[in-house]
Amino acid sequence: MALVKTSGARLAGICSCVPTMRFDNRTDSIEFSDEEIRKVTGMAGVAARRMAGESVCSSDLCTVAAQRILGRLGWEPDSIDALIMVTQTPDYFLPSTACVVHHRLGLADHCAAFDVGLGCSGYPYGIWLAAMMLQGGGVRRALVLHGETPTRFSDKSDRSVSLLFGDAGSATALESTDPRRTSDWYYALHSDGSGYNSMIIESGGFRDRFGTDPRKHCVNMNGALIFNFTIKRVPALIDETLTGAGVTSSDVDYFIFHQSNQFIMKHLCAKQSLPPEKVPIILKEFGNTGGASIPLTLTQGNLVRPEERALRLMLLGYGVGLSWASALVSLDREAILESVELDNTKQVSA
Amino acid sequence: MVHMTQREALEWIANLFEVSPQELTPDTLRGDISAWDSLGVLTLLAGLDSDFGIVLSDDDVASIKGVDDVLGIMRRNGKLS
Repeated sequence: MALVKTSGARLAGICSCVPTMRFDNRTDSIEFSDEEIRKVTGMAGVAARRMAGESVCSSDLCTVAAQRILGRLGWEPDSIDALIMVTQTPDYFLPSTACVVHHRLGLADHCAAFDVGLGCSGYPYGIWLAAMMLQGGGVRRALVLHGETPTRFSDKSDRSVSLLFGDAGSATALESTDPRRTSDWYYALHSDGSGYNSMIIESGGFRDRFGTDPRKHCVNMNGALIFNFTIKRVPALIDETLTGAGVTSSDVDYFIFHQSNQFIMKHLCAKQSLPPEKVPIILKEFGNTGGASIPLTLTQGNLVRPEERALRLMLLGYGVGLSWASALVSLDREAILESVELDNTKQVSA
Repeated sequence: MVHMTQREALEWIANLFEVSPQELTPDTLRGDISAWDSLGVLTLLAGLDSDFGIVLSDDDVASIKGVDDVLGIMRRNGKLS
């Protein structure tokens, strides 16, 4: 797909939510030797992670985030015209998690609600979909929820994933605005299904519903192929987005990468000559939280926001699918960035 | 860095995995080097990209079993005499 442009949407607020349960890779891991832990965490840059445990789902984290941001914005539930739930860790095969959250938030029946089954690339896709709806008219306010609980599908004995993943949810509130008051947004959206099995949970779906090998109900990640995909695709994605939008990297305040792995991110930054201060990394405390890592970084990455102008942000998602996408968006001075935690001992009631 | 002799290439690989160049020959296999584990593969891919601008195909990634395969990749990409 060629570069896509939208106009007339603004980010009103973003809230992230993580579970309170904190797992320290160094002191809480019992599956691996100290040397293995040192090596993996050193390379990945993950010292600790937040874990959902057995009772918390992505929907719970996203619901808390959405309630908080709606409250902060003073938006009534019946003013929301669309809810897009991006997740690969849904509550159920059916119904869609969007409908579950729609109910929990008390949204009106004129609100469109649907799921998007994307992971690491899902946030730019969600923003694109919402902005297209806002631009099209009829939809005045939209919520993009992105949550993932990858610790719940990680094999605890697989060091390539179990020391890496953390859980998080988020809610992003968007609204239509006068196109003259905001900059145009740009997106590049890509897929390569030939790599579908580079990162896969083989059993549990309808291809192998009741597979008896428990490891096949956990994620299997070919780290080398995923890394190779990343160094091949992400630099080109950045260049394509900059060129298509007619800007240079110096026009972008922050490059908000999916927080995949510190080694990978630093390699990408060096390759693209991006200054480290323009690429916030929050892996140390939160790990890789899938695509939800992008809104989590927006709220936890200590972004410096100038008084006099909007921030220009390039959001970069890449991974499972294989799927990769960018969104070049603006974040105005009035937009709210917020974070909240969910006590794991409580579950949001359905 | 654009062009190397085989000796220089062996030194480059040895440096990547923090072993002595004397320990490496073209016949050295991945399993012979403890640092050439799954994380070491990422180090190798990153090194080929940043030092030589070589980004591999997925088939190349899967085919690397030892030093000779790395030398072959460098040779095919015009980085090794």
